[in-house]
Amino acid sequence: MGVVLEVEGLKKFYGQFEALKGISFEVKEGEIFGLIGPNGAGKTTTLRIIATLLTMSEGKVKLLGYDLKENPEKFRENISYLPEEAGAYRNLTGLDYLRFMARFYNFSPEKTADFVERAIAIAGLGNRLKDKVGTYSKGMVRKLLLARALMTKPVLAILDEPTSGLDVINSLEVREIIKSYARQGLSVLLSSHNMLEVEYLSDRVALIDQGKILAVGTPQELKQRYDAPNLEVVFRRIVQ
Amino acid sequence: MKKFTNLLFKEIRELINKQLIFSLLFTMIIFYFIGQVTRTEAKRAETARRIGVLDLDKSAISRGLLDNLRLVRFQIEEFETIDKEEALRQAREKNLTFLLVIPSGLNEGVEKLETKEIETYSFLRSFSIGQARYSDIFKIILETANNYLSNEMLKKKLPEISPENLKKPLKSRDFVIVRDKKAEASASAIVGFMYAQSIFVPIVLFMILIYSSQMVISAIALEKQNKTLETLLTVPISRSAIVAAKMLAAGLVGLLSAFIYMAGFSWYMKGFTGDLAETAGGITKIIKELGLTMTTSGNLILLISLFLAIMCALAMATILGVLAEDYRSAQSLLLPLMLLVMIPYFLSIFTDFKSLSLPVRILIYAIPFSHPFMTTQNILFHNYRAIVFGILYMLIVFIILVILAARIFSTDRVLTMKLRWRRREVVL
Repeated sequence: MGVVLEVEGLKKFYGQFEALKGISFEVKEGEIFGLIGPNGAGKTTTLRIIATLLTMSEGKVKLLGYDLKENPEKFRENISYLPEEAGAYRNLTGLDYLRFMARFYNFSPEKTADFVERAIAIAGLGNRLKDKVGTYSKGMVRKLLLARALMTKPVLAILDEPTSGLDVINSLEVREIIKSYARQGLSVLLSSHNMLEVEYLSDRVALIDQGKILAVGTPQELKQRYDAPNLEVVFRRIVQ
Repeated sequence: MKKFTNLLFKEIRELINKQLIFSLLFTMIIFYFIGQVTRTEAKRAETARRIGVLDLDKSAISRGLLDNLRLVRFQIEEFETIDKEEALRQAREKNLTFLLVIPSGLNEGVEKLETKEIETYSFLRSFSIGQARYSDIFKIILETANNYLSNEMLKKKLPEISPENLKKPLKSRDFVIVRDKKAEASASAIVGFMYAQSIFVPIVLFMILIYSSQMVISAIALEKQNKTLETLLTVPISRSAIVAAKMLAAGLVGLLSAFIYMAGFSWYMKGFTGDLAETAGGITKIIKELGLTMTTSGNLILLISLFLAIMCALAMATILGVLAEDYRSAQSLLLPLMLLVMIPYFLSIFTDFKSLSLPVRILIYAIPFSHPFMTTQNILFHNYRAIVFGILYMLIVFIILVILAARIFSTDRVLTMKLRWRRREVVL
């Protein structure tokens, strides 16, 4: 498996405050890589930098060999970002929203239709896609946004707390969607403070706290290394 | 380009929503309704000139006076009584608005050059504009009648002299000079006509600037409030294209809204002024003679000036929109921009910029939105230096603002800049 994303010595300062203190990791092709840690650990900042939303203070980030500082547009063409608290345009119907977003990646009607068809299948919202987004429940909006993020089959899907605010049933559905897409060769970088969710989804995980990566490995490796039944206990032992 | 148009159409679609269409239609209907009512009232005041008359003199002079009133389209309703109270009662019963009482001895008074009192009674039944207009017209007619009576007196006493020459030994011929052109007219008539004709320009300008700015500031604030901005910023489209699409969409919808509002406003104003073309008479010819009409190139210059002012306002609103946390805070952030538009707007209506003191003038010229308010006058008086200065100044301000807006959109600031009064927040 080739490396899709390389992150090396990533630092981020907000004034005097150092939010990221030299983070390094890589994501391989077809891999689900999870960043786990408590609130304020630096997960969202890391994802936002890779998604070209924030600028890095120091370090190197490469996607398919393209440097983030030099080619942010190449990043935008090849990634898809699902923010933790995201919304869709309330006055558009679900279908119109998907079409609008698809046109940024390919303007040919055939390709756009392909993207939208895929999104319809992922979202599983049926006829409700013809209704305005303003009438959707939180779970429906999240599924729509996840469908939007995956419909273009990006090289790297960046998902920040993908099941945030969802009930059990919706969370299970979203996790299944992510897993099935990764099986098709899609790389996923996701973050969550729900360590059990990340353990279930990820091929490899990085434990992050106070802007530093504390450990990286497969969930199995980490559990064995720290003699813990799950990642929550692994995290507690590392921090202690 | 296709990505840009994709975003532009989405922006326009988002801006033209049910609320906007409803508010535009509602305002137009209200303006149209008020305009129609006002116009009907005004017309009624002009046509229904029925007045009651109690002629207690029944002389040749009083008959002459009534004939004179009939000549100027007054419908006279005479009361065959000698009791004033009875005449008032009848006038009230017949729903008349005025009663004119000609005293006995009017003829004798004119013979002896004595002043006599004509009494007028106005039945005030409302405070409508029509009522006020009726009263004004009646006053003018009384003045005409007075003129007639004095002429009659003079003709009798001094038959060999023209009363007009005696009353007005000095007559004036008024000329107006604009640059090298001269025409016979009074300056006040020209100024009044130009004012009435161009009163819409600052209002249109004011409305377009405010509407467009409000559109763009709200569009950005709504992206933040609905949490759609982050997603938009990560799709493959340049940040400058996002800024440009938002500004252009807001500009177009703002322009459309302003024109719709102005159409309604012009219906409303017609209720007060009447159709300008109907009342202008020969003055339009004089205006042409003086070169005070806008040529095609003049209109083009005005359009360029207006366009640049809109662009400055949009760029400024884009920056303010980034500072807004949500839709509500965006409305308060619009206030400084509104103030910058309102200052030159009111000054252009109530004063001449050139008459202001130097420090105030510098301050006014520093506001980019002041220049289009001055453009029409500068074009008509051929002040090309001021026009070029204004256009160049707005262009420079626009370039600076748009670079600033694009830079903000290309950095973390688009997400981290938030203006909360007395508090600045950084989002991690």
